[in-house]
Amino acid sequence: MLLVPRQLQRVGMTGNVPYYGGRFSPAQAYAASHPTAPPPSFADPMTGGAFVRGAVPTTGQSARPDSPAPSPADVEAALQHLLSTGVISQVEFQELRARVIR
Amino acid sequence: MTGPVQVLVVGFDRPTFSGEVLAEFTRLREAGIVRLVDLLVLSRAEDGAFETLALPEGVEADFGDLAASFLGQPEESADAEVEVPDGDSASTWSLADAIPVGSTAAVALIEHMWAAPLSAAIQRTGGTLLDETWLAREDRELLEALIAKR
Repeated sequence: MLLVPRQLQRVGMTGNVPYYGGRFSPAQAYAASHPTAPPPSFADPMTGGAFVRGAVPTTGQSARPDSPAPSPADVEAALQHLLSTGVISQVEFQELRARVIR
Repeated sequence: MTGPVQVLVVGFDRPTFSGEVLAEFTRLREAGIVRLVDLLVLSRAEDGAFETLALPEGVEADFGDLAASFLGQPEESADAEVEVPDGDSASTWSLADAIPVGSTAAVALIEHMWAAPLSAAIQRTGGTLLDETWLAREDRELLEALIAKR
């Protein structure tokens, strides 16, 4: 039989929820070790991310130094999606494609 | 039901049941110490789904249904949103927190009959539970060494 786990309260022997003395509770420790993905900071047509203005990079600094640069294939796929959904025109598609894929 | 009930989740690479654990539960029950309320064996697939498994020979025939109904609900009857009890989410748990994907586990509901008077006495004193844990083997050895020195 397939089973869907039910959420239950976690209490100690006396029936009270233990105070963890400022330490992480088991659930908090689990959440800390399984961080959720950060919110999108740029437009991602594949995931529907919102446009958010990022910090202006200084000279010689990448705008998103912690993130790997997207591959040309990914960029082209994203542009193709924008074109096919009518967000950009064919001219804009060609212009942007030429700018990022050399 | 009079005593505190513990949920014991034990993982197995390959579950083998010799009957030794059940025999110990029988002894504890007869001594009025601990009662095995129910026992359930589960596997968790790589996609996270849980499936109940047949109980080993020697286990009472009606075991498993109660624990399955209490700790979960059949997938076909599960609501879109699983009911979450009131309170801080840090004080809740489910089998999904305890059993890794791709593993098998036995889940026992154990009533600690010995603890009922003690728990009641603690509550009557107005004491608040601050922590509850078990000592590691090394710490038990240290404790035993200190006891021996007294």
